Amino acid sequence: MARKLEITALSKWFGELEALRSIDIAVETGEFISVVGPSGCGKTTFLRMVAGLEPSTSGTIVMDGKPLAGPGGNRGFVFQNDSLLPWRTVLSNALIGPEVAGKVGANERQRTLDLLQLVGLGGFENYYPRQLSGGMRQRVNLARALAIDPDVLLMDEPFASLDAQTREIMQTELLRIWEQGRKTVLFVTHQIDEAVFLSDRVLVFARRPGRLQESVEIKLPRPRSLAIKRTSEFIAYVDHIWTMIEHDVRAAVIDEHV
Amino acid sequence: MLDRLRENHLAGFLSVAGGLLFWELVSRLLVANALFLAAPSQIVYAIYQLALTGELGRHIAISSVEFIIGYLIAAVIGIAFGFGMASSVRCKQALQPWISGFYATPTIALAPLFILWFGIGIWSKVLVVIFLVLFPVTINTEAGLRTTSDRLIEMLKSFGASPSQIFFKVSLPSALPFILAGLKLGIGRGLIGVVVAELFGSRAGLGRLISQSADAFNMPELFAGVIVLAIAGIAMTAGFGWLEKRLVPWTKD
Repeated sequence: MARKLEITALSKWFGELEALRSIDIAVETGEFISVVGPSGCGKTTFLRMVAGLEPSTSGTIVMDGKPLAGPGGNRGFVFQNDSLLPWRTVLSNALIGPEVAGKVGANERQRTLDLLQLVGLGGFENYYPRQLSGGMRQRVNLARALAIDPDVLLMDEPFASLDAQTREIMQTELLRIWEQGRKTVLFVTHQIDEAVFLSDRVLVFARRPGRLQESVEIKLPRPRSLAIKRTSEFIAYVDHIWTMIEHDVRAAVIDEHV
Repeated sequence: MLDRLRENHLAGFLSVAGGLLFWELVSRLLVANALFLAAPSQIVYAIYQLALTGELGRHIAISSVEFIIGYLIAAVIGIAFGFGMASSVRCKQALQPWISGFYATPTIALAPLFILWFGIGIWSKVLVVIFLVLFPVTINTEAGLRTTSDRLIEMLKSFGASPSQIFFKVSLPSALPFILAGLKLGIGRGLIGVVVAELFGSRAGLGRLISQSADAFNMPELFAGVIVLAIAGIAMTAGFGWLEKRLVPWTKD
């Protein structure tokens, strides 16, 4: 497999606060990678730096052999909140990426319609966001990121605001969609079981300062169904990661309540 | 359909009908003096008479021209000022004291001055309307552009959008409800401006009709002018509500 992303000594300071310390990660093409960790471990900051939404303090991010600077059409970002434009229809929202790039032709329209079909929103093209449920809005959010046909999909806790059942459905849906395109995915979440279920590799971050603690290879067979969450291998992975971050999570919880 | 209409508006209809009846009775039985109060039936008759002679139409035409010219100029300048203030800190610093000052001042008190400067024709009234409408429009436009959601801006940035794309695709549409609210606020203020300015000195207009009727103790005609103004205000505000539902449906329900 070819290298898609090469991240070297990536660091971030917010003023006096060291948010991320020297992250080194290599991502293969088509790999599904999750990032988990307690709040304040810098996982979202890490993702935003890869997206080009946040400048790094030092270090480099190289994609396909070229260093990245700023946002670009080769990466699609799926936001935690759906960030849909309320005055646009589902289709028009999903087409915003091609529109910004100045290329909305018949091809892009058809491709986006196919994507809406793929995420399970066929027939909802002309609905407005306020007419959709939270789960449906996140599907538009995903279709919108895919509409620019990015090489890398960056997902920032996309299912965090959904209820537990909808979240499980969306996880299987995401895997189904991913199996069809095999994009490289960086997926930030605080749900350990979600990370294990989706990923080839789970990056466990620690806090104070934010840093990469361990990279856990998930050797579960694909395609995966929800039933896999009840297998002992799955539970062992979740346990392993949980014990690794338990101390940090407790510290974070106490911090937040003081 | 008719049933639902009755259902939805029954209380309102009864309340208005009861109020009119009460007014009619008070005016005919209690006050019973045409120099102090006119009954609704007399007002309707006065409106009919004034319309018949063409006098009402003339007054309405003059007031409308004053209102429309002033309102349009204020809307254009107000939106432009709002844009300027939202996009440039310098511009905001320069304009803010004037806007705040004039918005808080009862500028309608300047009407006699404007009449002194520009005469009793329509232009002094146009100026009063501009002064009353301009500031709410400016303030709302600026506030609307400033409150654009950072999340939506960030979303567009993630696709590599330029500042002008962000402005036209996010900031402007999300400011639209605020701009419309400012324009709606301007209707009432503009109408007050027209009438009060006309009261201070004019040859024609609804304010003129009211003041000359008052001088002649002609209560039915005085109230005729007031009623026509009230209807104009209600109709324009309702029209704006309809426009809002059309242009910014996402802010409703």
